[in-house]
Amino acid sequence: MKKLISIFVLLVSFAFTSNSYSKTEIHWWYGNSGFLGDVIIEIANRFNESQDEYMVIPTGKGSYEDNMAATIAAFRAGDQPHYSQVYDAGAAIMVAQVKNGVVIGFEEMAEKYGIDVDADNYIPGIKNFYADGDGKMIGVPFNSSTCLMYANMDILNEVGIEEVPKTYEEFEGMAQKILDAGYIPLLQSHSPWIWTENFFSRHNLLMTDGNNGYDAVPTKTLFADTEAFVYHWTKVKEWYEKGYYGYKGRAWGDNQAPFTNGEAAFWFGSAASFGGMKGVLPNFTTNPIPYWDSVTGGKEYPTFIGGAANWILNGHTEEEYKGLAKFIEFMGSPEMDLYYHNMTGYAAVTKGGIELAETINFYRASPYHKAVGDQLGLEGSTIPGGYRAGNWPQIREVIYENVEPMLNGDITVEKALSNMDKGAAKLLKQFAKTL
Amino acid sequence: MKKVQFKSNYSQYFFLAPQLLILLIFLYWPIIQTFRDAFTMQDAFGFGSQFAGFDNFLFIFSDPSYFTAFKFTIIYSFIITLITGSIGLLLAVQANKVMHGKSAYKTLLIWPYAIAPAVVGVMANYFFSERYGLLHHLFNNLWGFNWYENVFDAYIYVIIAGSWKQISANFIFFLAGLQAIQKTVIEASIIDCKSNIRRFWTITFPLLMPTTFFLIIINITYAFFDTFGIIDTTTIGAPGSETKTLVYKAYIDGFKGLDLGSAGAQSIMMMIIVLVITIFQFRYIEGKIHYN
Repeated sequence: MKKLISIFVLLVSFAFTSNSYSKTEIHWWYGNSGFLGDVIIEIANRFNESQDEYMVIPTGKGSYEDNMAATIAAFRAGDQPHYSQVYDAGAAIMVAQVKNGVVIGFEEMAEKYGIDVDADNYIPGIKNFYADGDGKMIGVPFNSSTCLMYANMDILNEVGIEEVPKTYEEFEGMAQKILDAGYIPLLQSHSPWIWTENFFSRHNLLMTDGNNGYDAVPTKTLFADTEAFVYHWTKVKEWYEKGYYGYKGRAWGDNQAPFTNGEAAFWFGSAASFGGMKGVLPNFTTNPIPYWDSVTGGKEYPTFIGGAANWILNGHTEEEYKGLAKFIEFMGSPEMDLYYHNMTGYAAVTKGGIELAETINFYRASPYHKAVGDQLGLEGSTIPGGYRAGNWPQIREVIYENVEPMLNGDITVEKALSNMDKGAAKLLKQFAKTL
Repeated sequence: MKKVQFKSNYSQYFFLAPQLLILLIFLYWPIIQTFRDAFTMQDAFGFGSQFAGFDNFLFIFSDPSYFTAFKFTIIYSFIITLITGSIGLLLAVQANKVMHGKSAYKTLLIWPYAIAPAVVGVMANYFFSERYGLLHHLFNNLWGFNWYENVFDAYIYVIIAGSWKQISANFIFFLAGLQAIQKTVIEASIIDCKSNIRRFWTITFPLLMPTTFFLIIINITYAFFDTFGIIDTTTIGAPGSETKTLVYKAYIDGFKGLDLGSAGAQSIMMMIIVLVITIFQFRYIEGKIHYN
């Protein structure tokens, strides 16, 4: 009897699974985990419920780096997904792969398969970050963040500071007060991203030659050559020695933990970081990242778009790409864009999503979400909205390797920055050879 | 003994085939691929592949962090071998003497061996966490411990994390070695010499030499290759690149940096290093060992 039942159960389950086989499957690989991964699964589920022709199957591959490595390995084995999430540092590699037929540009879908795509649906700044030299959109914007300053308002109230600092000069002026009250004035979670790449964008400075790689393949970084950058790290080192800035290693979470636990006044992290703080830290705000007044002359510039985009990979059938286009359209709808913005804190990436947020007065209800759009939406930059430099994941590693000996005094700031330049130049040259 | 003779000249290949196939697929094929990667320049997806000669090797030799990794790997494997070997031996000798509850001691001392390096690393992470780490607080009270920026402190961190589990491996083999020593030899030596310590160094330890030699090789290989998970879950190479092992560096460059040429060249360098060490050991150390 037991056997009969189990056979029956097996047959029934087969009947159900075979039902899903009649749908066209679309594989989507991603590099988020925890809550952010859950939201991705939820998006796929909502799409699958909204129609019954296609089925999106999301698969988490670990971190951004893991997912990129997995996608590449899968492609080399001829088993790639249709859609894969690749982060900002890998954008140069993915854009360069269009000519090799690895990546299908978003706008290319129209030419190749006659699929209607709407690139203008995305806000220009974000769209351009994932576009090729001619401005044609390649990657599809998804989780777009930037670095923001989180402030613990309870600490600020306690030491009598009324307004969060807009500039590093203002921060420097209040740091001693915070330190005297027994708190860490400042922490940040990602030296290459926040205090290197976005230092340059925030101050409207070029980071590499070749116009950040948009005009020509870059051959060197401009770290030691940029006076403001040398000045910034000299200050950071001074702050570190005075205790204004606390370094807790390379792990993102180790630098965030003291802030979340109410031991630090300011922390620089991602726009999508506040999920874990809500309900733990009673009174915090998200603010644009500070800038050096003395460098920009009082002007503020937008930071680069961080986070990741989704990339369409070659080697599948037209029918599947049609389904994928439907899914992209679904994700780009105002409702889904705002849903994702609301759930994660990542920026709204479509014009419709931003309009919808205004219509329903979204930011009054949730002020945490506002800073990211404000900072990315700033105007007046004369540098490109991103950087196209290959081997960037390794260059980030080079930056880390030199920040630590700089902070502990083994090497001077100038030496550290010129080491970074040297290491980066070698890696850029190496990348140029593979093009 | 009866000599077994196959009738056919080919049947032995048939029986060997499954083994050879596994070796070919999982060992030789990757090795060939590594050589191909090391001598070509290609992008992450394998396009633009062109013969590069020794460019990838020159590239790693001009990289200061490669030499840092080399230096660290040598220091690390030396210290790990020394610490795990001596503590393992000490524990084995003591456990061998125990009369009551022998198997309980044995089991407890062997247990850590079953834990994966990555898990050991995560556990060490708790011990050395600035927020709730027991060892972090202890060392911090002693001399102001900070592994984020102090190389010496970072060494302590990864050495403790790397040794703990491997002590168990050394313990097992030393204990087995001790139990294999014939009782009569020990009894005879007791008549000749009263000093426990002298007896150990002149009789027991020389008889343990084959085990010691074996463990030195095992420990060095462990420190070279298996500590990958420990480094990845503890210091991730910080401060600077001071605690990156060669394997970890190859992983970072190959999988995170997607630079297969450099990673391939590093793998080949590693192969050469291990080859040299092994040849050295077998030529110069093994000659001094007496197998029964």
